Amino acid sequence: MSDGDTAYEGLIKEHEARKAHVLAMGGKEKLSKRKAASLLDARERIERLFDPGSFTETGMFVTSHLPSMRDKSPADGKVCGFGRIDGRNAAIVSCDLTVLGASSSPNNVKKMGHIRRVATKNGMPVIFLNETSGARIPDTMGAQGIGALGQDPTQFLRDRQSPYVSACLGPSFGTGTWYTMLSDFVVMRKGACLAVSSPRVTSLAIGEDVDPEELGGWRLHTEKTGLVDYAVDTDEEALDLIKTFLSYLPSHAGQRPPRTEAPDNSRIDPEIILEIVPPQRQKVYDVRKLIKAVADPDTVLELKPKFARVATTALARMNGQVVGFVASNPMFKAGALDPDGCDKITSFLVLCDSFNIPIIILCDTPGFLIGIEGERRKAPGKIMNFQTALQMCTVPKFSIVTRKSYGQAYLNMGGTRNSDEMGAWFTADVGFMDPVIGINVVYGVTQKNDPEKFSKLKAELDRETSAYDLAAINSTQAVIDPRETRDWLLRMLEIHSRDLEGGLSQRRLASWPTTF
Amino acid sequence: MARFKIESEIAGNVWKIEAKEGDHVDDEDVIMILESMKMEIPVLASESGKIVEIHVAEGDNVAENQLLVTLEN
Repeated sequence: MSDGDTAYEGLIKEHEARKAHVLAMGGKEKLSKRKAASLLDARERIERLFDPGSFTETGMFVTSHLPSMRDKSPADGKVCGFGRIDGRNAAIVSCDLTVLGASSSPNNVKKMGHIRRVATKNGMPVIFLNETSGARIPDTMGAQGIGALGQDPTQFLRDRQSPYVSACLGPSFGTGTWYTMLSDFVVMRKGACLAVSSPRVTSLAIGEDVDPEELGGWRLHTEKTGLVDYAVDTDEEALDLIKTFLSYLPSHAGQRPPRTEAPDNSRIDPEIILEIVPPQRQKVYDVRKLIKAVADPDTVLELKPKFARVATTALARMNGQVVGFVASNPMFKAGALDPDGCDKITSFLVLCDSFNIPIIILCDTPGFLIGIEGERRKAPGKIMNFQTALQMCTVPKFSIVTRKSYGQAYLNMGGTRNSDEMGAWFTADVGFMDPVIGINVVYGVTQKNDPEKFSKLKAELDRETSAYDLAAINSTQAVIDPRETRDWLLRMLEIHSRDLEGGLSQRRLASWPTTF
Repeated sequence: MARFKIESEIAGNVWKIEAKEGDHVDDEDVIMILESMKMEIPVLASESGKIVEIHVAEGDNVAENQLLVTLEN
């Protein structure tokens, strides 16, 4: 053996030992506690998410900047790198709670910055697996501590060059929360807490006990704030949902979403639409069933399903092409759109416009929900945000009125030229407001106080509100038998291909805020 | 055991109550139907559980956010 071989042997040993130290994370004891609680660790999560053997770590030997903490901070609490999901590259930041609570530090912030820059420059999604106690204390205390942060003026710049996805898999405060808020899709494990600061910090600040579920639990975020799309029971379910979501998105904004093979059309029975949607306007139905009947079988992924249920937003496929469905849902509040519903739709329009996803609007709404509560919650502003967003969207937009479409909501839901092509079912009823209310407002006549006059006036107003009346002035380009909905949409998707622009949007919404 | 409240999302009138106290319901099962904005609007279970109490009767007027049902699971 030569001297060179011996020298290499020592270096190889050291390299292996250093790697083993990093891979041991926060130590056996902490890791076995997690296992006992059925929680995956930061590296197991990566393994579960990425195609086998595809993960390459970056910043593996990063440690705390404090010399005394170097040995106690493997990977500095954030495991970062690149891997493949279904053959496509993706970047990841996976928090390791067993190392200093995966707290954010000057060095691991540099790692995260590298991940974001590489992903943006080369066009791949960024996945944040959050389980972090927030900023590292005492490292970030004092003017020098806080001043050491903020070295990257693009740290929180979100212009949606590639998708961001987050999972909250434990406590998520500070940076973990901020990246979650910048994400296009968020899933949360039940029991996790997503908030600005931890319950302990919050409790000390306000001087009273704070319940983590109340502060940032899954019910709050899936039902009330809408900041989280899905709550799940296990890490595995969360990771699988991330994969599912990404399967609908392009790797970056310069691509169309990945297309799959068209389904076997014999599995689709258009007659079922007549069973789902009652022709009587006072009867409600669940628009989610209609979307499922129109889209390719088993392809509908609803976003924020428990939040603002008056509106449904869903990714789906039509003959293998990714589309985004926006619908009012008569099942909830009769489909009258409220401020949360407007926010939900606006954020979905931003997603579709940013990533070249055509939009299909299904409209059955008595209008915007009016009332004092809505006004207090800025309903007028929300309605215009939604309307402006729709008008700025340059992806193909198709709108179908199934039954009702009244007032400003008619325009917000793609009425006339607010979509590229409009269709109305022959059951459509379109006007400034429901004729029954209109008769009362204009003539002061109700069914109760003058049934005869009411019937006469209603017959008159009803005559001028049909799909054919709308079609006569070409404000709808088609009057459709409900059973023809899928075929009509498939043809329109082919025709409005945006081939001149390579199917790409102008992305005017791509730099819109991440929360409304 | 946790208890959950189901409140009215909309002002209206209780038209039909389709479940009774003690019944088990699944997520999104119809518990009652309200009449509002000329529509029949179902009130759905917010998750699976047992109906502990129904706080309204058929024919009652209800306000937005009024407590309708308490569930337990």
